Amino acid sequence: MTAYSYFPGCSLTSSAAEYDVSFRLVANAFGIGLDELTDWNCCGASPAPHHWGGELGILLPARNLHIAGAGHPSVVAPCAGCYNRLKYAQFELERNPELRERTGAALGEAVRYQTEVLNVIQLLNREIAPGDLSERVQRRLSGLSLGTYYGCVLVRPPEVVRYDDPNNPVKMEPLLNATGAATPHFPFKTECCGSYMGLAKKEMVLQASKRIIEVALECGIDALVTVCPLCHQNLELRQGQINAAYGTDYHLPVLYFTQVIGLALGHLPAELGIDQHATTDFGRWMLDAG
Amino acid sequence: MINLSQTVKEGAAVVAEIERRSGQRITACLQCGRCTSTCVAAFAFDYPPHRLMHLLQIGLVEEVLRSETAQLCLDCMTCSMRCPVKIDVAGVIETAKAIADEAGLRDTEPNLRLFRRGFLNNVCRHGRLHETTLLLWFNLRTGKLTNDLSLAPLLLRKKKVRIFPPRIKNLRQVRRLFQQVNGSAGPPR
Repeated sequence: MTAYSYFPGCSLTSSAAEYDVSFRLVANAFGIGLDELTDWNCCGASPAPHHWGGELGILLPARNLHIAGAGHPSVVAPCAGCYNRLKYAQFELERNPELRERTGAALGEAVRYQTEVLNVIQLLNREIAPGDLSERVQRRLSGLSLGTYYGCVLVRPPEVVRYDDPNNPVKMEPLLNATGAATPHFPFKTECCGSYMGLAKKEMVLQASKRIIEVALECGIDALVTVCPLCHQNLELRQGQINAAYGTDYHLPVLYFTQVIGLALGHLPAELGIDQHATTDFGRWMLDAG
Repeated sequence: MINLSQTVKEGAAVVAEIERRSGQRITACLQCGRCTSTCVAAFAFDYPPHRLMHLLQIGLVEEVLRSETAQLCLDCMTCSMRCPVKIDVAGVIETAKAIADEAGLRDTEPNLRLFRRGFLNNVCRHGRLHETTLLLWFNLRTGKLTNDLSLAPLLLRKKKVRIFPPRIKNLRQVRRLFQQVNGSAGPPR
């Protein structure tokens, strides 16, 4: 059993609890050990790097890297935002000795920052071969068209995260295809959903997310797949607000990557927290599932 | 509003500072407009990204520092990915925003600033974000009590609301990180 340090982040302990639940179920099914970081703190998300000069956007995730440094060789952060912040802190600490010094002073000891940081797609691709998943599938998702929605911060900026193609990422596809699902061409994979503007500048989120849903439906997509709780909030939770603002009638399910794999493994939608989503209108494919 | 007394020469110093901090060359911009054509947020901007770059090229920095664009950029970095001469446009806009902030030009989009501050204050208090109190605080401060109220029944029904705030053990260490930036016990302003 390979064990990893696990940084859930704030969303996975509250509004995106179903992401945590489904991730743990999938990890457990493939013998992947997850040790939650002790006493982790918020990574600073989008506000920290954009406020007070931005340095909290490095210092807050640096503390989590430091805690991870005492654990396993790799730490996994399923939330795309947390993943980006951990990678950013690592990138800046690596090249800035003076920042390293100051971070260490605040932490009370020399900062440990070199633990390998993985996102959830990276971890599952490393631990699960598509062929193995295919053999373990209890509920084949044939006939289902999934729109792989990667968002911004998982793949950008490429010199910091160094993961997948920043314009056309494809790393989710092999495992999804192994479940029997199709992943048709979806040109809005990395279009921004509106980020953290939901409370303070709602119209930006509604417009940005509406475009993504609209294009997904034009591409014949049955559900979007994401790894980011903020994208999920904007595209899924706010779908009713989009409908109210634009007079549309969208009911497009948006699932976490881990929930799709969990479904294929035979778990019930409720076990994976899918019933906690606003849109549970799964139409034909969920009815004949399992 | 353009300050007509401002000369291009004075603007040049700020442009040089933006170039230094962002590591980008403003003069390299070709004005092709590709950043604007890929921008999902441009509909809400006063100056689309390529025009903002042009304002910097001609030294009209006050327009840039006071722009909606600098505040509303989502920092999705799509423009930076697509620029044919590889300018990190999002980085330039972000730098302009930081300089505007330092210069105390805070009249544009105050609610976004308020949200970020409330978010960070919340994290400073608990060590982690407590979404519920952030939403309540923000709505009280802005006086828009019905903001996102439409989501409340859904959030409650779907058990997505965490009533009690989280609290980490070594909160002092997290607060020292805030002090590193703000030099006081917690976030000011």
